[in-house]
Amino acid sequence: MRSVYAKEMLIYFTSPIFYAVSFIFLCVLGIFFYNDMTYMSMLASRIAQYQLSTGLSLDKIVLRPLFSDMSILLLFIVPIIAMRLYSEEKANGTIELLFTYPIRDVDVLAGKYLAGISIIGILLGMTWVLMLLEGTVVTPDWGLVLSSYLGLFLVAASFLAIGVFASCLTRNQIIAATSSLGIILAFWAIGWFSDVFSGSSIAKVLGELGLMEHLDDFLKGMLNVKDAVFYLLFSLFFLFMSLRVLESHTWRG
Amino acid sequence: MITVEGITKYYGPKLAIDSISFEVRQGEILGFLGPNGAGKSTTMRIITAFMPPTSGRVRVMGYDTVDDSLEVRKRIGYLPENNPLYTEMKVESFLRFAAFAKNVKRKNIRATVDTVVGECGLHDVRRRIIAQLSKGYRQRIGLAQALINDPPVLVLDEPTIGLDPRQIYEIRQLIKDLSGSRSIILSSHILPEVSQLCDRVAIVNKGKIIAVDSPSNLTAQLTDHRIIEVYVGERMDETLELLKDLEGVVSASRFNSHIQVETPKDMDLRPVIAKKIVEAGIPLMELHAKEMSLEDIFMELVTEEEV
Repeated sequence: MRSVYAKEMLIYFTSPIFYAVSFIFLCVLGIFFYNDMTYMSMLASRIAQYQLSTGLSLDKIVLRPLFSDMSILLLFIVPIIAMRLYSEEKANGTIELLFTYPIRDVDVLAGKYLAGISIIGILLGMTWVLMLLEGTVVTPDWGLVLSSYLGLFLVAASFLAIGVFASCLTRNQIIAATSSLGIILAFWAIGWFSDVFSGSSIAKVLGELGLMEHLDDFLKGMLNVKDAVFYLLFSLFFLFMSLRVLESHTWRG
Repeated sequence: MITVEGITKYYGPKLAIDSISFEVRQGEILGFLGPNGAGKSTTMRIITAFMPPTSGRVRVMGYDTVDDSLEVRKRIGYLPENNPLYTEMKVESFLRFAAFAKNVKRKNIRATVDTVVGECGLHDVRRRIIAQLSKGYRQRIGLAQALINDPPVLVLDEPTIGLDPRQIYEIRQLIKDLSGSRSIILSSHILPEVSQLCDRVAIVNKGKIIAVDSPSNLTAQLTDHRIIEVYVGERMDETLELLKDLEGVVSASRFNSHIQVETPKDMDLRPVIAKKIVEAGIPLMELHAKEMSLEDIFMELVTEEEV
């Protein structure tokens, strides 16, 4: 497992995809952050001007929109990070090396998944520049920040599991990325359908299946075991499915 | 070392290999010879535990490729068809990964990589990115990764394909040097290669093994007649008539510069032919028995199958 992990990390850092993705991710996030901050300073000057008594909530005006933007950005970026994990090996034929080396399929999968997780961790870690920048001006609610990061990390881990699964299905990286985006969007939208069946138990099930629904509490600074467990099980499910797909190469011919 | 027991493989409804059985002994190089699409790569993929056979089984050093896949994989070095490599990696880091993945002990990895780099002549390129290297070097890297954990069994799928003659020579030399106590299976559709390198040859066509034996035995067994080539200075037509009437001659026919005489396998008519021609006063320039090459046998077997 460690060998595959090390190899994947090395390839991530030598391929341009990682640099392109993180550049765009950070740029877009920087723009959002700048917008939110200028909006906030505008509001602050208004409040000062009219001597209003309402306090300004940094959390509500800057942090929450920023984190929710981050979750949307991750939705697009994680499939791109995940797409090469198996598809590239299939297209180049290197899968034949990997599957004839004495490593179990599950260890290969774990190595690849953890490499993806590390890349996501690095991406999220880099956004701490924004948090520190903000910390120089005001003191944010660090509890909220931490719980939001935990939530984002968990939701990104679920996206990654879907991405790995899609990557197992095809040798074409673009198809892998698009189909994982499709699956992610489907699990995002699934919550909306709960309104259609409102009142029935189907509504409850659909509502609980929505990927983004479980993020809300994290972004409000609440840590729910239920939500964390949901993301973990969701990831495990897709990793398990990936393993099944990989095993099928032994009987599909 | 390797026992292949009646393996059959279907790709969907398509039969790729049909109850193939053979054995490879320790220290032996077995050549797998056959036209493209004969099932060579499929057989190799089954032996290396990349995929299971539809029926039958393969044992490598006593381990079943399906039930003890990991044990088999520990003992096999495999150079797959088209030699896939992680081309974005540097030669050294790729070999380090291969060593690590093949359970070479941490503290031995450096020494192991140094050894294969030396064996495969990769000194000059060890810090280069694989994508920038020539095909010859890549082939050596493919061999190097196969060798890295010093496996007792090597499976090489078309190791010399796409190389220039000098590189082919070098790779062959390398394979010869590697053999020692190892068992090697290599596939090829180049005949001289197989006859030069291998102790035994398995000829495959359309998913079946048509013959397994040493190159010389194959030649001896499969020739059912002897061909004698006769070169005369002049009066070729006259000579042809003369030879046709000779007792024991199956047929005689004229080629551009010589006459070819076919005689039964167990009869050597050379002295008789020579005497006859000289007696007739025709200048005899040259006369020799034509060795049937592996190529002829191969063509014969493969075409026989098709009829």
